[in-house]
Amino acid sequence: MLKSKFLLPAALVALSGVVIGQQSTEKTPDAAPVPTVAVVPDVVPVSWESIVRIEASFLIPDYRTPWHAGHPTGGSGTGWMVGKNKFITNAHVISNSTKLVIRLMDNPEPYEARILFIAHDCDLAMIEAVNPKPFEKLKPLEVGGVPKLNTEVTVVGYPIGGERVSVTRGVVSRIDFQGYSHSGIDQHLAIQIDAAINPGNSGGPVLQEHKVVGVAFQGYSGAVAQNVGYMIPTPVIGRFLKDVSDGHYDHYTDIAASHFPIENPAQIKALKLQDDGMGVMVSRAESAGAASGKLNTGDVILAIDGNPVFNNGLIKVDGEMMDMNEIVERKFAGDNITLDILRDGKKEKVDITLKRFLPYLTMGEQYNQRPRYVLFAGLLFQPMDRNLMEAHSIRDPLVSYTFDNYLSKEIYKERPEVVILTSILPDEVNSYLQGFQQSIVDEVNGVKIKTLADVAEALKKKEGDGKFVVIKLLERNRPLVLKRELAEAAHKRIMQTYRVEEDSYLGNE
Amino acid sequence: MKKILFVPLLLTLMSGALFAEKKPAAAPAAESAVNTSLLKVNVTMQPWNQRIPWQKTSPSSRRGLGVLLEGNRILVTAQMVADATYIELEKADTGYRLPAKVKAVDYDANLALLEPAQAVDGFFSGLKPMAVETNARIGDALQAWQLDRAGELILTPVTINKILTSRYVLETSFFLVYEAIGIIRSEANSFTLPVIKNGKLAGLLLNYDSKNQSASVLPGPIIAHFLKDMADGNYQGFPSLGVEYQQTLDEQFREYLGMTKGQSGVYISNVAKGGSAENIGVKEGDIILDMNGHPVDARGDYKDEQFGRLNMSHIVRGQSFVGDTVKIKVLREGKEQMLIGKLTRKAAKDFVVPPYLFDKGANFLVMGGLIFQELSLPFLQSFGAEWETSAPLRLTFIARHTEEYEKQGKRKIVFLAGVLPTRSTQGYDRLGGLIITQVNGKPINDLTDLDSAFKEPQDSLHKIEFEESPKVIWLDTIVAESDNTKLLGGAYRLGTLKRIE
Repeated sequence: MLKSKFLLPAALVALSGVVIGQQSTEKTPDAAPVPTVAVVPDVVPVSWESIVRIEASFLIPDYRTPWHAGHPTGGSGTGWMVGKNKFITNAHVISNSTKLVIRLMDNPEPYEARILFIAHDCDLAMIEAVNPKPFEKLKPLEVGGVPKLNTEVTVVGYPIGGERVSVTRGVVSRIDFQGYSHSGIDQHLAIQIDAAINPGNSGGPVLQEHKVVGVAFQGYSGAVAQNVGYMIPTPVIGRFLKDVSDGHYDHYTDIAASHFPIENPAQIKALKLQDDGMGVMVSRAESAGAASGKLNTGDVILAIDGNPVFNNGLIKVDGEMMDMNEIVERKFAGDNITLDILRDGKKEKVDITLKRFLPYLTMGEQYNQRPRYVLFAGLLFQPMDRNLMEAHSIRDPLVSYTFDNYLSKEIYKERPEVVILTSILPDEVNSYLQGFQQSIVDEVNGVKIKTLADVAEALKKKEGDGKFVVIKLLERNRPLVLKRELAEAAHKRIMQTYRVEEDSYLGNE
Repeated sequence: MKKILFVPLLLTLMSGALFAEKKPAAAPAAESAVNTSLLKVNVTMQPWNQRIPWQKTSPSSRRGLGVLLEGNRILVTAQMVADATYIELEKADTGYRLPAKVKAVDYDANLALLEPAQAVDGFFSGLKPMAVETNARIGDALQAWQLDRAGELILTPVTINKILTSRYVLETSFFLVYEAIGIIRSEANSFTLPVIKNGKLAGLLLNYDSKNQSASVLPGPIIAHFLKDMADGNYQGFPSLGVEYQQTLDEQFREYLGMTKGQSGVYISNVAKGGSAENIGVKEGDIILDMNGHPVDARGDYKDEQFGRLNMSHIVRGQSFVGDTVKIKVLREGKEQMLIGKLTRKAAKDFVVPPYLFDKGANFLVMGGLIFQELSLPFLQSFGAEWETSAPLRLTFIARHTEEYEKQGKRKIVFLAGVLPTRSTQGYDRLGGLIITQVNGKPINDLTDLDSAFKEPQDSLHKIEFEESPKVIWLDTIVAESDNTKLLGGAYRLGTLKRIE
C-alpha cells in the first residue's frame, strides 16, 4: 500500500510529498448519475474552538535492541470535542506517545492531556485534558450521518503550512472499503474526498451541514495520486463511541472466512444456484475464527442478516453498495449474525456469534507495546510480528514464508507465537553460532517452543546431565549447543559489555 | 561477495588498445603456437518459454571454441549447446563449416561432446586430436588458447593459484575447479576457452572475473571422468552423496557430540531422500570421520594426494563412478561404525521439483483455458534474477520443501500456472500459482494423472480442487471442449493442448 499517513508535520513532509498551498476544490460536473444535488454549507457555524491541535511526544520502540527505551520524536495532529472534555483524534496521532498536549485555536497555553481509549484497528482514539477547566465552555461537535456522493464537505485542522487553523473544501468522491494503514491489516468503510488533506489534518473533523461526517486520516502522496484524501465515516466513529461507552475498547470482530465471487456458469451449476447474480462461495473458514465449524468450503452465502449478497460480495446498505462485511463491522463481540446459505443445493440458516480473530494481530503493526525479548548468552529471542519483521529486515525465506502464511496455513495452531533467534551479540561463547540468526526456534532443552515465555522457562531446564543448553532451530538441522557453565558466565559479561539492563521482558504479567 | 560473470560479457568490456602489445610477450615456445586442435563452434539456441510452455523464446547465438578429441569428437561446455537448434563447426583457417550434433551432454558437469551431423571426408584433415591432462598443481603455468580472425593462435599465460570445489553453472553442481590468475583479453568465439598445459587439454574456462583477473577452470580430471564414463557407451553421470553437513570447529559442539580430541569430521545435518548416503545408511546426526580411507577434517576437507586440501565431495564426484563402492566411517552415538555401499546418481527428472530442464519444453496441459504445469526450478527461475523473491513465494517455498508432497505420493507437483481468457474461465482469470490436490475426485500426482482425471467428469462438470483458496472451481465440460478447440487455432497459437513426456 502506498498510502502515506498524515502525521508529524516536520518529519513527514518530505516523505508524503503532498503539495502545500491552495488547491482549488472545483466542483465536479454532474457527469455521474448521482441522485442527490450537492448541499453547500456556506459557513461552518460549529464552535471552532472545539477543534484543537494535539501535540505528542513519542518513543518509537527499537526492536533491534529491545532493552533500550526507544527513539524519541514528536508530531502533531488535530482533534475535536465530542463530549465534555472528550476529544476524538486518530490513533496514529497519539500512538507510542509519552506526553500529550492540547492547544486551543486562540490560546497559546499548552494543556496536558491523557489517553482514554485507543483503537488501533480503526485508527481512532479518545483523549481528555488533565485539567478540564479551560474546556468547560466549549461546545461539543455533533456527529452526523454518511454524506452522499458528490456533496460538499469541509475539512478543518492544523496541517503543515502554518500554525493556525486551516479549512479546505471538497466533495465526496467515493464510498468504499479501504485498508487502514495505521494497523496495516484492517479494512473498514472509508470515504474518499477531494479536499486537500495534509499531514497534521489527521484526527480533524470533516464537516457537512454543521455536523461531523468524518475524521480525516489518510491519503495518497502527491506522487501516486492527486486530490485523494480519506476520512473515517460516521458508522466507524459511532461504533467506536458505542464500544467505549462501557469503559473499555473491545475491538472489531471478524467472521474469519474468505469468499470467492460466483460469476462462472459452471460454478453456478455446480453450486445448484439460480442464475440471478446473487451469492458468494465460501472458500475457507479459519479454524480459530467465528465461522469455524459453521461454514464449509462450497457453501454459498445468499444473504447476511436479511441483506441479499450480490455475486461480487456487495450488499446494499442505506442505498449504497457496500462490502457485505459492513454488517459484521457494525456489530460487537458476542453479537450474532444470521447467514442465509445454500449448502448442497439446500437453503439453510446459520447463526454465527461474532468474536475477535486474534491470530490476525500478529500480522498488524503494534503500538504502545514494549518489545518483548529474552536474551541468553548473547542470543536474542523475539516473537515474530510485523514490527519485528520490519525492524530486522528479515529476508530469510522460511521466516518470511511463516509470516506470510501464519494465517492461511494456520501456523498459529502449532506456534501461537513464532519465536525467532533474531541476533547474536558476539562473544567468544557464541562465536561459532554466528550465521544462525533469523531462524525460527523449534526446541530449547527438549521443550517445544510455542511462546516466548516457553523460551525463558526452557532455558532454565536441565536436559540429561544438564551440562549443555541445546537450541534446535527449524530446518537448520544442527542444534546450537552452549556449555551451560560457560554460557552462564558469558551471560553476565555480555549484558555488561552491551549495556543490557534486563535480560528479558515478557510483557505485563 | 565475489562477483563471477561469464566470459563473453566481461571480456568485451576490456579495452583492446591496452592489450595490443601483449601478444609477442605472451607467446611461448614456437611448436605449441600452431593451431592443430581447435575448431570454432557456432551455436544457435532457443530455450523453451517456461511460463508459456507451448512457445519457445527468441533464438540467440553463441560463438565459442571446441577442442578436437580422439575419434573426431569435439569437446565444449554443456552451457554452449544447451537448447541448441543448430550447431556448426568451423575450421578456423579456411572457414570451412560443417553441421554438428550433440553426442553426449552432462549438464551437472557442464560438459558436452559434439560430432559431425553427417560424415564428411577431409574436414578434420590437418587437425590433431588433443589429449586430456589430468595432472595439475598450484603454481602450474597454463595457457588460455584463443583464435584470431585468421585462425592463428593467441596464447595467454595463466597460473593456477587455487584448487577447490566450487559451483559450475547449475545451483546443484559442485565440482573440482582450478582458479587461475592472468589477464585474458576477449577475441571472437571466446566462449569457453581451452586451457592448455604442455600441449594437452588441462581444462575449459568456466568464467573470468576481469576485476580480479581470475579465471575458473573446469579441470582435466572432470573432463577425463566424463570421457571415461562414456567409453562403454552407457553414460551414467557423476555420482553424488546427498548429504548436508556442518563444521565441527566449535569446541562446545564437539564436546556435546562426544567427539574426542583425536577425532575429526563433520556433522551430518541432512540426508537427501533417495540419495547415495541414504542407501548406504548414513543418518542425520552422524559424524563422518573418514571417507574411502581419507580422514575428514572439521571443515569437511580431506588431504588429496595431488591437489592438497579439498572438500570431501571430490572423493565421490571426482574420483568415483556410479556403482563404485564407498566406505564411510561415522561416529554414531559415541561409537565408530563403517558404512559401505554403492554410489548412485539422482537424475534431474527424478526429483519431485526438477532442478533443471534443457533441450525440451516443460510439461503442460490446457483445459478450457486453465494452464496446468509441473513445478520446476526453471519455472521459478523464469521470474528473473531475483526469482527467489519475485516468483510466487509459496511455490518457491514448496520447491525447497518437497518432503510433505513426497510422503503424499506425489511424483510431481501439479499447479495452476495461469489462466487464458475464455468462456470457461470467466471469473477465474486472476487465479494462478495454486497447487492441485484433486480433479474430479482423483488425486493428482503428476500431469498424467490430471490428463486421465479430466476424462472422468461428473454431471458434465470438471471439479478442480486446490490446496489454497478458493479451494474449488468447476468447468463445464462442453464449454471447455469448445474453448479448447478455439484455443488451438486462436490468438494464443497453442498448437497443442498438452505436452506430457
